[in-house]
Amino acid sequence: MPTLTIDNKTVTVPEGANVLEAAKRLDIVIPHFCYHEALGSVGACRLCAMKFLEGPAKGIQMACMVEAKDGMVVSTQDEGAVDLRKHVIEWLMMNHPHDCPVCDEGGECQLQDMTVAGGHGIRRYGGLKRTYNNQFLGPFVYHEMNRCIQCYRCVRTYQDYCGGTDFGVLGCNQRIYFGRFRDGPLESVFSGNIVDACPTGVFTDKTFRFHSRYWDLEEASSVCPHCSLGCATIPGARYRELQRVRGGVNKETNGFFICDRGRFGYGYANHPDRPRIPRIGDREVSWDDSLEEARGRLADIAHRHGPAAIALLGSPRASLEANYRLLTLAHHLETDRIAFEAHPERDRTARVVAALSDKNSRSLEEIRNSDFLLLVGADPLNEAPMMALAVRQAVRRGAGAALIDPRPVGLPFHAVHLPLAAGRLSEFLQAVCAGTFENFSRQERTILEGIAERLRRAQRPILIGGGDLLGAAGVRDLLRTSEKLSKEDRPCGAALILGGPNSYGAALLSGETSDFNGILDGISEGRIRALVCLESDPFTDHPDLSRSRSALAKLDLLIALDCVPTTTAEKANIFLPVKAPAESAGVYVNNEGRMLAFASVFDPGTPIRVTGGGDHPPRVFEPGTPRNPPMSAWSVLGALQNRRESLNSLRREMEGEHARLAGLASLDPETDGRRVLPGGGRFEIPEIPAIPTEEKAFDLISIQSLFGSETLSAFSPVLDPVRPVPRFLMHSADAAEIGLAAGETLRVTTDRGGFELPVALSEVMARGCLFIAHLKGSPVDLPFPGVRFAARVDRRKES
Amino acid sequence: MKSDQLLFKNRRPGETTFLKGYLETGGYEGLKKAFTMDPAQVREIVKASRLRGRGGAGFPTGMKWSFFPADKPGEKYLVCNADEMEPGTYKDRELLLADPHQLVEGMIISAYALQAPTGYIFIRYAYERCARNLERAIIEAREAGFLGKNIRGSGFSCELFVHRSAGRYICGEETALLNALEGRRANPRSKPPFPAVRGLFDKPTTVNNVETLASIQHIITGGAAWFKDLAATVEGAGTKLYGLSGHLEKTECHELPIGVPLRTLVEEFGGGVWKGRRFKACLPGGASTPYLTAEHLDVSMDFEPLEKVGSRLGTAGVTVFDDTTCMVEATLNLNRFFARESCGWCTPCRDGLPFVNWILEKIERGDGVMEDIDMLRDQLRNITGTTFCALAQGAVGPIESLLRLFEEEVVDHIKRGRCPFNP
Repeated sequence: MPTLTIDNKTVTVPEGANVLEAAKRLDIVIPHFCYHEALGSVGACRLCAMKFLEGPAKGIQMACMVEAKDGMVVSTQDEGAVDLRKHVIEWLMMNHPHDCPVCDEGGECQLQDMTVAGGHGIRRYGGLKRTYNNQFLGPFVYHEMNRCIQCYRCVRTYQDYCGGTDFGVLGCNQRIYFGRFRDGPLESVFSGNIVDACPTGVFTDKTFRFHSRYWDLEEASSVCPHCSLGCATIPGARYRELQRVRGGVNKETNGFFICDRGRFGYGYANHPDRPRIPRIGDREVSWDDSLEEARGRLADIAHRHGPAAIALLGSPRASLEANYRLLTLAHHLETDRIAFEAHPERDRTARVVAALSDKNSRSLEEIRNSDFLLLVGADPLNEAPMMALAVRQAVRRGAGAALIDPRPVGLPFHAVHLPLAAGRLSEFLQAVCAGTFENFSRQERTILEGIAERLRRAQRPILIGGGDLLGAAGVRDLLRTSEKLSKEDRPCGAALILGGPNSYGAALLSGETSDFNGILDGISEGRIRALVCLESDPFTDHPDLSRSRSALAKLDLLIALDCVPTTTAEKANIFLPVKAPAESAGVYVNNEGRMLAFASVFDPGTPIRVTGGGDHPPRVFEPGTPRNPPMSAWSVLGALQNRRESLNSLRREMEGEHARLAGLASLDPETDGRRVLPGGGRFEIPEIPAIPTEEKAFDLISIQSLFGSETLSAFSPVLDPVRPVPRFLMHSADAAEIGLAAGETLRVTTDRGGFELPVALSEVMARGCLFIAHLKGSPVDLPFPGVRFAARVDRRKES
Repeated sequence: MKSDQLLFKNRRPGETTFLKGYLETGGYEGLKKAFTMDPAQVREIVKASRLRGRGGAGFPTGMKWSFFPADKPGEKYLVCNADEMEPGTYKDRELLLADPHQLVEGMIISAYALQAPTGYIFIRYAYERCARNLERAIIEAREAGFLGKNIRGSGFSCELFVHRSAGRYICGEETALLNALEGRRANPRSKPPFPAVRGLFDKPTTVNNVETLASIQHIITGGAAWFKDLAATVEGAGTKLYGLSGHLEKTECHELPIGVPLRTLVEEFGGGVWKGRRFKACLPGGASTPYLTAEHLDVSMDFEPLEKVGSRLGTAGVTVFDDTTCMVEATLNLNRFFARESCGWCTPCRDGLPFVNWILEKIERGDGVMEDIDMLRDQLRNITGTTFCALAQGAVGPIESLLRLFEEEVVDHIKRGRCPFNP
C-alpha cells in the first residue's frame, strides 16, 4: 500500500492504483477525458498532466499512466503542468465546433467544463476546422463527428468493454473517425453506453434529442425495472414526462453501463394510452370514489361468500413495499389466497432461489472477478444483458467460460458451447455433482469432462443459470451443484436469472402460499369471486392463456392496479392507476438477493406535451398536476386497509415483520444496496407434471427476446424498430428431414393449439427442439417464456 | 578516404548478391562461429562491441539484449524493423537491394543469442524488391541448412518471416510496429512494460533495425575489439551507412567508419553542394533531427559529438540544403509530413503538430506577426516531452533548430510580409 503526497496532502492507496485515482481519493479533481474507471487508463488525451517532484517518475507525467509508489511527491498546480493542460484544451478546441447552444450535451459536457476550468478563453488558432460526414447509427444514437475530441472512450466502450464489432476507429492523424464501416444501426445491445461514455456531444441519445437541457431535468438514482439484475440507472424527467435514462453507478451490480432495453425502454411511463385516472367500469372517477367502491365491493364479497372468496395477485414488477402491502391486505381481508407471480413455474423458480441461495449467491461484480463461468440454460443477452457483459469482463481478464444450452446463444465473449436438449440440463448438473458423464455420448463426454476439470481447478468458479429454461427443479439442481463443488477455501458461486426486477423480493414474501394455478382453480370452481391484481397481468402472463382467460372471465370482481394499459387493466371492474417505477420510491430485491432502493424521480401526471396540446415550448404550465394523479401502489393498497403512513414507517414495519429484510429502513438509493439475510434453506418443490412425450414430437420452448418479452419495455414505442418478428427456430438437420428451408412456413400443432410461422434455421442448437421467442403484444398469442410442450410439426402445404 | 566495407562488401551497381556470391566473400562464417559459442557468449561479445542501434535512437544493442529473458523458456520473438520511412533515409533499402543475406545471417545469429526461434522482418510496403530479395534469401538459407530445424546440428531451430507493412511512418515506432504485426491499429503501446517483457503477442520480444542486425555477424567474426576500432571516434564503434541526399552533386549511400566528419561526407562523398552554391544547412540524421549549419561541418558524425552540437545522429541520412533554400518552407514541408503521419492517439501530436503547421504556413505566406514566434515556441515547449511516443519529439527537432539557428530568417519573413526566397 504505497503512500504518496499530492499537493501537500498524503494518501495511501491500494497496490496498482494510479496517481489519478490516488488524487481522486483526496478529492483533488484531476481533469481528464480518456481515463474512465471502467475502461482504464490509456494516456491518449494528455490532460491529467502533473509535475512529479520526487519518486521514481520525474517531471511532467500523465497521472493516469503512472502507478502510485511510495514516497512520490506530486504537484497538480505546477506551472508547467497547468500550462500543458491549458494547451491540451486549446488543441482539442482547434476543431471543436462552437455549437454549444444547439448541442444536446450542453451542460453535461466534460469538454465545456474543462474548457472553462482550463482557462482557454481566447482562440489563437485561425485555420480551418476539419469536418466530417456523420453516419446514421440506428434509432438510438445520434452521431455528430465534428464534435469529436478523439478520447477513444466510445471505441473502448463499444469494442473492448461491450464486445461490439461493427463500430470502431478509422483513419489516422487529425482525421481519426469513430463510426461504422458504413451507415447502419449499431448492432450491439449495449450501444447506448457510448452516449454516456462520450465526454462531449458526438454520441447523443436520439430519443432525447432537443427535448431538454440537462439542468432542466429532474433526476434521481433509480434501479432498472426491466430485468432481474437491478442495474443502477439515472432517469431524467421534465414536464411530467420521462425523457431519458442514463446508466447509474453501482459497483456491485452493473458497474457503470446498462443495456439498451434499460436505457431506451422508458416509453411506458409516457405511453399515450397509459391509464392515469381511477375507473369504475368505464367511468372515470375520483380517488375517493374508486377506493370507496373497492372497499365496499370487497367487503360485500367477503360478506356473501366468505373471506376466502377473495384472492390477490402480486408481481415481480411491483416494489417490495407494494407487494408487502398486498400481503397485509390479504391479512386485512382475512384471506390466504395470495400469489406473487402469475406464472407458476417462474413463481416456484424464484421461491427456490430465495429459499436456497445463500452464501453462494454471487453479484455481477463477483462474476466480473471470477475465473471460470459455467452458464446453464442461460441466454443472458436476451434475458439479462448485463450478466453477459459481466462475464465478458471476467473472460477479458483471463477467465474461461462454457455454455450448456439448447439454443444457438449469441454471447459477447468466447465460450465453449454444448447444445444439450432442455430436458437434459438437470441431468447434466447432476452429472457434474457426481463427477461422471456416463449417460452422455462420447463427443459430449469429452467436452463435459473438460468443463468439469476447469470447474474443479478454478479458484472462483460461478454457475450461472437461466430460470426460464432450468425451471424450479433445474435451479435447485444448480444451487445444489454449486454447494457440492464448494470447498472451505474455494467456494463455488451461483447466479440465477429470474423473471422480473423484484422476483426475489416477491418470492421472499410468498412463504408457504399456494401458486396462481391454485387461485385459477378456485375461480373456475366458483370458490373465488374476486381478484386484486397488483401490477400483474394474468390475462397475458400466464403460460396457459386459455386456462387463465376462461377462469378470469368468471370473476365477479377484478380490481387492477397498474401503470401500463395491460389487458387486465382494461378488463378490470375497478382500475386504480399507480405510479410508474421512476415516479415512486421503492425497493427491488434483485436476482442475487440484494435490496436496491430507488428514489422518486418526478411526480406523475399527464405530460404537459399532452395537456398543452403539443405546443412547444409549453405555454400552459399549471403548478399542480391535473385531475387525479396516480398514487404509489403501496399507498393505494394501504388506503384499502385504511392506513395512512409514510414510506419510512412502512419500511420499518416490514423490517420488523421479516427478519430477512434487516437494514431495509435505512437503505439509501445512493449506495450499492444490501443483501437480504440468508433464507431457511428449505423449499419443497411440488411435483410438476412431466411434459407428455410423444413419438416424433418436438420439444417446443418459448424463450425471451430482449426487446419483445418484457412488459414495460413492450409499451415503449422507441423500441418498435428493433422488435423481433415472430418465427420458429429449428435445427437445420431437423428441417431437412421434413424438407423445410429457411424462411418457409412451419405448421406446429400442440394440445394448446397451433401456430403457423416462418422458420429460421441453426446448426448450433439441440436437435428435436423448437424455439419461439415470446413477443408481447404480438397478434399471434405466443406462449409465455418458461413453458415447454410437445409439438407436432410439418411443412405448410401450399394451397 | 577509404575504409573497410562490411555491410556493403558485396554491393555492385544494379546487382543483388545472393547465396553463392555471399558465401564467396565469407558469408555465414559468423554464424558458424557463433554456433560454437554459448548464446550468452554471443551476447557478451555484442555488448563488448559497444554497437549502438542503427534505427535512429542509438540505444546500445548489447544493453537492449541484456533486458531480454533469453535464458527463460517460452515463446520469444526477434523482430527486425525494416519499416524505413524517415524522410532522407534509405540505407536499409540499399543494403537489402545489394545483399539480403547480410540481414538473414545477422538475424539467425541474433535469434540464437536471444534464444528466440521466431523472427519477423517487418518491412515497408514500398520496399517490395527488398522484400522479395529477403524471401529468396530466406529460402536459400533454409536450403543451405542455415535456417530451419536444428541448424547445423546445434539443436537450435529458427524460422524467419517477411511481413509487409501496410505503410505508415508510425509503424517504425517499435511498439506500434508490434501492434501492426499483430494486425491491430498501429498505435504505440505504453512503456513499461517494454517489449523485452511483453512484446509481440504479449511475449518477450526484441526489435532491432536492419543495419544493427546485419552488423552482428561481423562483430562475431572480427571480434568486439576489432569492431570498435573500425570507428573514427574514440567512443564510437563499427561502420555506419551514410545516405546522402538533398542539394549535393552526388547523392549516394556509403559505408564509412562511424564518426567520419560531416565535411568529408559533404565535400568528398557528396561532391560538394550542387550548382556551385554554398552550404546552408543539413539534417544530419533524417527528418527528425535538428538542423546543422556550416559552422558544424567539422563535427564527427557519431552519436555523442552530434548531441553536443544540439542535433542527433538519427539514421545518418544526411540531407543538405543550399543557400537558396527557404528554411521556413523546408521546415514546414517536414512538419507537414509529421502531422500527416501522426497516428492520432495523443493530443499534443495529433492536434499540436497541425497547430504548428498553421503557424509556419502563416509565416511562410507572409501573414505572420512577431507574436507568432512566441506562439510557436510556446507550442513547441508543450509538445516536447508530453506525448505518448517519440514521433512528435522528432517532429519538433527541426522546428526548434529553425528558431535557434535561423530566427533572423523567420523574422525576415514577418517583416517583409512575404517569403524572401519566393518573391
